[in-house]
Amino acid sequence: MLKKLNTTIKTLVVMSVLLFAKESLQAQSTLDLRINEVLVQNDSSYVDDFGAHVSWIEIFNGAYNYINIGGCYLTNDLNNPKKYWIPKGDPRTKIASRYYVVFFADNKPARGVFHLNFDLKESNIIALFDSDGKTLIDKIDLPKDHKSDVTYGYFEDGAGKMGYLKKATPIANNNPEPKVSSGDLFKQFDPSGIGLTLIAMIVVFTALAVLYFIYKAIGKQFVKTTKPKAVSTTKEQADTVQPEAISGEVNAAIAMALYMYQNELHDEINPILTITKVSRTYSPWSSKIYGLRQMPR
Amino acid sequence: MGFTQFLTDHMMQFFSFTGFANFTVGHLIMILIGLAFIYLAIAKEFEPMLLIPIGFGILVGNIPFASGYQIGIYENGSVLNYLYFGVTQGVYPPLIFLGIGAMTDFSALISNPKLILIGAAAQLGIFGAYCIALALGFSPSEAGAIGIIGGADGPTAIFLSSKLAPSLVGAIAISAYSYMALVPVIQPPIMKLLTTPKERLIRMKPPRAVTKTEKIIFAIAGMLLTTFLVPSGLPLLGMLFFGNLLRESGVTKRLADTAKGPMIDIVTILIGLTVGASTQATTFLTWKSVGIFVLGAFSFVIATTGGVMFVKIFNLFLKEGNKINPLIGNSGVSAVPDSARVSQVVGLQYDKTNHLLMHAMGPNVAGVIGSAVAAGILLSFLL
Repeated sequence: MLKKLNTTIKTLVVMSVLLFAKESLQAQSTLDLRINEVLVQNDSSYVDDFGAHVSWIEIFNGAYNYINIGGCYLTNDLNNPKKYWIPKGDPRTKIASRYYVVFFADNKPARGVFHLNFDLKESNIIALFDSDGKTLIDKIDLPKDHKSDVTYGYFEDGAGKMGYLKKATPIANNNPEPKVSSGDLFKQFDPSGIGLTLIAMIVVFTALAVLYFIYKAIGKQFVKTTKPKAVSTTKEQADTVQPEAISGEVNAAIAMALYMYQNELHDEINPILTITKVSRTYSPWSSKIYGLRQMPR
Repeated sequence: MGFTQFLTDHMMQFFSFTGFANFTVGHLIMILIGLAFIYLAIAKEFEPMLLIPIGFGILVGNIPFASGYQIGIYENGSVLNYLYFGVTQGVYPPLIFLGIGAMTDFSALISNPKLILIGAAAQLGIFGAYCIALALGFSPSEAGAIGIIGGADGPTAIFLSSKLAPSLVGAIAISAYSYMALVPVIQPPIMKLLTTPKERLIRMKPPRAVTKTEKIIFAIAGMLLTTFLVPSGLPLLGMLFFGNLLRESGVTKRLADTAKGPMIDIVTILIGLTVGASTQATTFLTWKSVGIFVLGAFSFVIATTGGVMFVKIFNLFLKEGNKINPLIGNSGVSAVPDSARVSQVVGLQYDKTNHLLMHAMGPNVAGVIGSAVAAGILLSFLL
């Protein structure tokens, strides 16, 4: 047992040590990308890396792993899906899980990877195409009236309804309001978790205790009703072992023996060949007479 | 461009698509872990039905590839992604519970209903791990998902984590199944530590014969009572008791045979392979995964302790002759039938004629119900 435990501990230690080595990977699925938030009329909002107020498009990675947007296409013209090719190889195009990247629609592609060759005032459509230039990943139709410094996008990151957002949130969650889940609420009142433990254990015990009491009552009733009536038995009848008379211990021993027998079975084939005739009942479905077509003469 | 240059460019392009070009240390680590699982399953026979699909799934999920070709499990539209849908949306676990219900005989529990309470006590592991996870800085939802590992029930763990912490499903499932496989190693030292030689020799009354009607009532009443109390456990508990009714009614043998045979086998293959494949190095090799693995061990220890200690305390209130052997306390975790088998093996070490298997099956199946109820409570409180 000690040896077994040692082996297990060693295995666990090795696995844990291996788990420490963190490694990042190539992106996985671009189909999880979403055009999350867009600002067309930028007067005093987010500035680009040149200090200019220009239109911008925020892309959100909704997956739980890195996605490399490099190689995909952004466009404002569905007839020209390959309008702006996002260059590959830039580490910044690798978007972390549930994170964002912003492209500036300033029609100045010479300024860098994140500066597009179109601006958003030319069209009301923005589309993101996969690296084949054919698969549409996401598309949004912008409203015709562009409000100054007011962004348009998903109310909740990457999913749900779209509309004008209360606040521009580049590289951040579209819903900046603090969201308190019931779990978080519970934590505020019960930071150690002991309260939840007590409540939950009481509920689990109650559920199973109800079952216990009901089954105790039902069991008693059944034992009463199924109790064999005292009848005179002959010697022969008394000698016959009734199946109910076999105790649970014997059953357990039989079960254990069967289990051990089955586990010791092996799949080695007996080298002695035996030929046994297999008799099959006749059926016209399997008859050769009906199964074969007659050869033409 | 000459032909040679053309050929070279295309060969280079081909190479960039191969696994060798995209290979990282993370892939290597995960492939080694997958191989370790397969080794444990084949050489040590640790839960081979689970560890072989999961181990091979880890290999499948960690083959390096160039993105954008709908290959990986996280790529929308890929075949693996479709199969993984059953995990993320919690489809597979209830189907497995249907099969478990169809193959479980609740006779031991019905004949000695007080054993049900052991199944409740062992759920302490879930909430103990929840408290520790909270203290370590996990969010309440994550802590709940991690805690369920202590239920020793793979399908329940996957079901709950897919709802509370979808990003941790892979790590939680791997941890739960790993420790379930290690039940014969983890539990015996704790059982021996917490019991006295006299207690280990307690002989329990043989269970009485249970009628078919009682079994049918159990399936129906069990579902109604538990789900009225915890409706959020309905997908698991409903399917468990439905499967059991198929078995015990006696008139749906074909359905019961399918549920406990081909269907559960198919779902086990799919859940094992996809959970394994979901452990891509990017999502799995994190500090959180390490924390989950460590917490999983704690939860199993607490669950076993809870079960054994409960029996010891319970015995104080029971008359001589009705006492329960505390060596079946470990079976309150729902690793069916491994933990019951552990009770039997440990019991035989001290008395070669004291067979505890039948008695241990009672708390063992109660543990399945208990962990599903606990999962329902966590869902209601934390989602």
